[in-house]
Amino acid sequence: MPHRILIIDDEDDIREIAAMSLETVAGWEVMVANSGAQGLTRASTYKPDAILLDVMMPGMDGPTTFRELRKNPATEKIPVLLLTAKVQASDQRRFADLDVAAVLVKPFDPLTLSRQIAEILGWD
Amino acid sequence: MEEGSRSALEQAIRRMWDQFLPELKERVALIERAARALGAGNCTPETLKDAYLAAHKLAGVLGTFGLMEGTELAREAENLYEAGVERAAAASARLLAIAARLRQMIDEQR
Repeated sequence: MPHRILIIDDEDDIREIAAMSLETVAGWEVMVANSGAQGLTRASTYKPDAILLDVMMPGMDGPTTFRELRKNPATEKIPVLLLTAKVQASDQRRFADLDVAAVLVKPFDPLTLSRQIAEILGWD
Repeated sequence: MEEGSRSALEQAIRRMWDQFLPELKERVALIERAARALGAGNCTPETLKDAYLAAHKLAGVLGTFGLMEGTELAREAENLYEAGVERAAAASARLLAIAARLRQMIDEQR
């Protein structure tokens, strides 16, 4: 069974490149959502093995979406990797209190993104 | 990674570059528009915010298309716009130069 991953990002280009990368390179099943609200619904029904979650989104941002995922018994245990273009230490510290699996920095390399995720999550 | 997968991925990335090129150019235009308005002393908060978001998005995506210098420049613009109107206004010439370089880089990538 291929791994199933949900990408939540409001930016079309990032979402599509990440999805294509994970499908093509790793053969994973990918579902996408273009907002935090849509991501909550899809995570609940799709029950992915992991979620790639953008930090800066209009409406419900990444950290808020993450907290909502943790409140729902259907999604509370799904590993979440934050995706952010913010690289300064002060930005990174904002995520320290979140129990996320990792914080990945944009831009990512489409050739190695799946390997990076697999290593973090201990997937073979 | 198998050679076939790599080739398929590289082709797909090229297709996506073409697909998202208008959006990338529009983001550069927003950076430039705000820089000009700052230089002229008539930049609105909305224009500044639009430019900040455009720079943030470019910083996140250009490197994914292989343009790491573009990511660094966009990140610099993002930080300047985030610092507020006064600091950004003082750097309007630099912001214009960043926009020009980003446009050139994007045109050359085609």
